[in-house]
Amino acid sequence: MHILLVGLNHRSAPVELRERLAFRREELSATFSRLREEVGLREATILSTCNRVEIYAGAPSLDGTLERLHRFLSRHADIELSGLSPRLYSYAEPQRVVHHLFSVASGLDSMVLGEAEILHQVKEAYETARAAGATGKLLNGLFQRALNTGKTVRSRTGIGRGCTSVGTVAVQLAEKIFGDLSRAVVLLIGAGKIGELTLKRLAERGAGELRVMSRTLERSTDLAAEYRATPVPAAALPAQLLQVDIAITSTSAPVFLLRREELSLAMRQRHQRPLCIVDLGVPRNVEPSSGGLENIYLFNVDDLQALVYHHHHERQQALGESEDIINQKVEYFLTWWQSECRMMNDDVHMDA
Amino acid sequence: MRLHTWCSLLSYGAFLAAFAAGVLFLIQERQLKRKTMGVLFRRLPALESLDRVNFCAISAGFGLLTIGATSGFIESALLRGRWWTGDPKEYLTVLLWAGYLVLWALRRRATLRGRRVALLSIAGFSLVLFTFVGAGRLVPSLHPFVRR
Repeated sequence: MHILLVGLNHRSAPVELRERLAFRREELSATFSRLREEVGLREATILSTCNRVEIYAGAPSLDGTLERLHRFLSRHADIELSGLSPRLYSYAEPQRVVHHLFSVASGLDSMVLGEAEILHQVKEAYETARAAGATGKLLNGLFQRALNTGKTVRSRTGIGRGCTSVGTVAVQLAEKIFGDLSRAVVLLIGAGKIGELTLKRLAERGAGELRVMSRTLERSTDLAAEYRATPVPAAALPAQLLQVDIAITSTSAPVFLLRREELSLAMRQRHQRPLCIVDLGVPRNVEPSSGGLENIYLFNVDDLQALVYHHHHERQQALGESEDIINQKVEYFLTWWQSECRMMNDDVHMDA
Repeated sequence: MRLHTWCSLLSYGAFLAAFAAGVLFLIQERQLKRKTMGVLFRRLPALESLDRVNFCAISAGFGLLTIGATSGFIESALLRGRWWTGDPKEYLTVLLWAGYLVLWALRRRATLRGRRVALLSIAGFSLVLFTFVGAGRLVPSLHPFVRR
């Protein structure tokens, strides 16, 4: 039995191509039987995410299997083979296939280095294939070890440490101020894209109450509906400042929305209850010197980006260590697989 | 051991906890304000939690100190016939008690919060240390915890 991999990812193909090749969950089990009949694969698992489409397979022989697999994908995506083939990577050497999957599962091949989501996606891809009866001894062994490798790399190295987007960094900072966010009141001022994203992250982390304030009521209502937030009129800003714990400003206003004086007054009125302000506006929405006020924690886009960069740098440093673990796990797998193959051959001989 | 000694010692322990929470608060706050998130940043608890621990410790310490000091005065009254002996530790304890009462009330009424409470609980604990160790060394005292 041979191990094969054909696929494309965010580096080898643009999103237009990736989305055409992507497999929907519902069509997977039909696809497995077609792969068996049309391509001659014995085992298959399809990993289809927004950044990659990969088919891992076990085939009894290598004769023309890769070509058949390419043609199969070209039919599936409805793209000329000549246009698709250069974007695909195909590996038939066991070492390369295994190394690739283990790196993918560990987040080393991801757009955001060390991201955690991919491990779930690999797990889901494997479980779907297993449920459809598309995996056997080879892919069961391979994917179980891939999941194990992903977990080991994440727990033993700093590859997944720190936050890698402005939104998640903002959430982390807020949590370091308030601890549990379930009682925090969050106000989003303005309709900027990153502002909305930050609101979304806070909502995901269970922020207690969300409010949105925008120049046009229509936009507020839209946002409010999407995140189950309360729309508040722009005129209510001073009153809101007394109630909220986290304020995100994301407007393109040419003048400061919040001045030091107003904030200083608000802090006295709110009995110095800490206030976290995330200023995502460029030009800035909050007078920078306000950050010096007691119990106000002010972060602007550059502060957040610097933290993102810092975390990314830390992850880069964990790369070597992660590679070592992966290489070792690849070794283990190949040794296991070779002994399995030998046993299978012995069985065949004995049967004969 | 006597109620007086135990309560006093426990109150010092509570003030030590408030002191520790205060120090951690200042470290964490400094990192947040300067946006330098080092190794400590991830390990330290949130500011609000530290603030809460600080307040609980001060409340507990204050209560224990009140019991400790009162029982001391009663004991002295029974033993020596006068409740106030003029021992330096008595003056310091009253000072300490008043200090923590003010701090507790300010924090309770939410006039003070965060950084300043943290700083004051650190200052308060230096007075505790002085009361506990220093006083006996400077002037002869009836409370010989540390012998020369």
